[in-house]
Amino acid sequence: MTQRLAQAMGLDWNYTHPSEIMDEIARLTPSFAGVNFDRLDAEGSLQWPVNDQAPDGSPIMHIDGFVRGKGKFVVTDYVPTDEKTGPRFPLLLTTGRILSHYNVGAQTRRTDNVAWHQEDLLEIHPVDAEDRGLKSGDWVKLASRAGETTLRADVTDRVAPGVVYTTFHHPDTQANVVTTDHSDWATNCPEYKVTAVQISASNGPTNWQEEYREQATRSRRVVQAEPAE
Amino acid sequence: MNTTDRLVAMANQIVANLLHEPDPAAAAAQHMQLFWDPRMKRLIHEHDGHGLTPLAAAAIDLLAKNHAAA
Repeated sequence: MTQRLAQAMGLDWNYTHPSEIMDEIARLTPSFAGVNFDRLDAEGSLQWPVNDQAPDGSPIMHIDGFVRGKGKFVVTDYVPTDEKTGPRFPLLLTTGRILSHYNVGAQTRRTDNVAWHQEDLLEIHPVDAEDRGLKSGDWVKLASRAGETTLRADVTDRVAPGVVYTTFHHPDTQANVVTTDHSDWATNCPEYKVTAVQISASNGPTNWQEEYREQATRSRRVVQAEPAE
Repeated sequence: MNTTDRLVAMANQIVANLLHEPDPAAAAAQHMQLFWDPRMKRLIHEHDGHGLTPLAAAAIDLLAKNHAAA
């Protein structure tokens, strides 16, 4: 089927057996140079790299030592992030996940795990909450230089004064509307742990959250159909 | 922040984090050579250099020279 698709797209694919594909991989990939179907049938399995240096594969790598020694240590300077707190955004937001949801929650949010975590809450220290007249369960607006959202507050000393925390498991909150596009210099990993924010009391969800919820509900309607049989 | 501005910020950031290297511009050029997508390299080469720190500009010159030599 894949081959027919490729041919329809103009590629000259005419494999008669999967072994020909393995041979092509072996020809193109040095660490698979010694792998072919006959050898796989004979050996059962081969652990890459399989090449002239290791004709029978390499079940255990680095036996005599690592390729470039025991490690490479470099002295690095401390380079602070460009994201700074100030009078308008005096608190630092850090986002993360909790045990009962897997990654962002796209899978676990469809399970009874929501009993443990129904919504993203903003954890805020009692001192910061008192300054703003907030108590647990209140709607709060969470705003940064990038954007704003609302969610309910959870007043707790789990977070330090000056730091607020929330999870990113629920699309009704969309924590990443608030986080910035700063990233790590080497890997471009987004800087989700440092966002300067301000918190204030709110009446409820922002306009975009209301619109998102309406759109999400509308787009997930299922037509009730008669069973075919 | 548009894409070019973002690339300028990234180039400056890469150099800032490689100042401990004996030749920060060369180290930054190597980093971009290894990890930047061809479209990113093309965009930064088309840019007039505005916003780049002197070392980041030197790194991008080196990147262009290495690319031309390859």
